[in-house]
Amino acid sequence: MSLRKLMDWFDNRLGISDVLSFMTKKDIPQHKHSIWYYTGSSILLFFCIQVVTGFMLALYYRPTLEEANASVARIMTEVPMGWLVRSLHSWSASFMIIFVFVHLLSIWITKAYRPPREITWMTGVFLLVVSLAFGFTGYLLPWDDLSLSATKVGTDIPRAIPVMGAWVTKFLRGGEDVTGDTLTRFFSIHISILPVFAFLFLAFHLFLIQKHGVSYPLELEEKKERVKTLPFWPNFVYREMVVWLVLIGILCTVVIFLPPSLDTQADLMAPAPEGVKPEWYFLFLFQTLKIFPSQMLIVSGETMAILLILLGFMLFFFLPLFDTKPTEWRGKLITFSAYIVVLYAVIMSVWSLL
Amino acid sequence: MKIKYSLITRRNFLNGLLGGWAAALMASFISPALKFVFPPYREPDEVILPWSEYKDMSPNSTKIFPWGSKPGIFKQNDDGTHTAFVGVCTHLDCNVTYIPDQRKFFCACHDGWYDENGIQIAGPPPTPMRKLEITIEGEDLIIRKPGVKVE
Ligand code: FES
Repeated sequence: MSLRKLMDWFDNRLGISDVLSFMTKKDIPQHKHSIWYYTGSSILLFFCIQVVTGFMLALYYRPTLEEANASVARIMTEVPMGWLVRSLHSWSASFMIIFVFVHLLSIWITKAYRPPREITWMTGVFLLVVSLAFGFTGYLLPWDDLSLSATKVGTDIPRAIPVMGAWVTKFLRGGEDVTGDTLTRFFSIHISILPVFAFLFLAFHLFLIQKHGVSYPLELEEKKERVKTLPFWPNFVYREMVVWLVLIGILCTVVIFLPPSLDTQADLMAPAPEGVKPEWYFLFLFQTLKIFPSQMLIVSGETMAILLILLGFMLFFFLPLFDTKPTEWRGKLITFSAYIVVLYAVIMSVWSLL
Repeated sequence: MKIKYSLITRRNFLNGLLGGWAAALMASFISPALKFVFPPYREPDEVILPWSEYKDMSPNSTKIFPWGSKPGIFKQNDDGTHTAFVGVCTHLDCNVTYIPDQRKFFCACHDGWYDENGIQIAGPPPTPMRKLEITIEGEDLIIRKPGVKVE
């Protein structure tokens, strides 16, 4: 049987040529904001790296109170290339979060979530939450001093939410306190629950993007026909691959020269070490909590802070539903607020490091 | 009385029956699942420690003992009395530490301070540290949750 025939055999059963012709017909517009189209596939690149390196780390990691820290130490010192795999996993996580932020911001600023893409935006915000949850649960797994205290603080925060909060804390910790159960629980959330959500939302997100096609910037919406375009396959994908190559180059450089450290094993009885900090992407929330006084009006400062943060998140999630008049002052204000949020996050993060 | 036509079609009836059955079955799974996910946990009512290890502490010093899965802090005061605290910050649960020179408890997580009696004096902590009751019976140092009666 010739190759041609073999291909046909599969094509008749899988419909590959339909997919290919759909991809060739899909056009990517070229204009001065085109660069943001590349952020999505960059996230996908780092996500794939996370999946592969995550599988690898799980071969040696042991999620128990007694062995967690030692097993990470073993990965770093004994397992051949172990330090490299852990360093990749840790750095690629940060890179992924950076690109998730940039991706969402670019959509916010260019208002690409205009109808009919509101739900695409919302699935994207879910994916942001899933990514942050990956980061939060992963941070505890090496089980060292800093990660223990950061997790104590992080899991205690929901307690300040009226009514539901105490249950959330209990659920996250697997009890009243952070213990070995918390570690095992975080591990299983990190490697089984979150991946399921990540894949589901990712599939849904990608499906919606195929369904609606790529969004045009607001100012080009009217003259769509005159905008130059590029076929998705193969032209655009080839360009994306060039971007990936550059990103992998940068990633490998930091991975090799700045591998993550590992502190001494966490001790549940020891006082919190100085300089407890969460991962960099939580710093601005951390600082926000810190500057609220202990008592505000009738509630504690903490409750106030967390309610405000939740409110902010809700606004963010439903953004496309508010931003219905893009060219009027409300739309301009919403675009402007994106810059304010970035400024706030940067100032707070830097402040927390001082 | 016999009605000439049925009020509900056979399909609707079956849908309701099977749907109701499925919903009830699912609902009956929720409670055991929740019980599994939220393990029961109780803070200890009391811990018993060997008094000999604590009786010769110098004034204004502290010793840590395990209070369940958190640290407890046993403190020897200047006048020979003792106090016991649950050693976690009332802000967000970090373990605190006693700094004898300054006669203060300190929480490194967000710069929280308590005086030597566990009263919050600076930073975010909203309430005083939790105190525990101390009794000494022969060789045993017994530390209890306030108000708990143990036989
Ligand atoms: S946890 Fe102690 S000050 Fe925040």
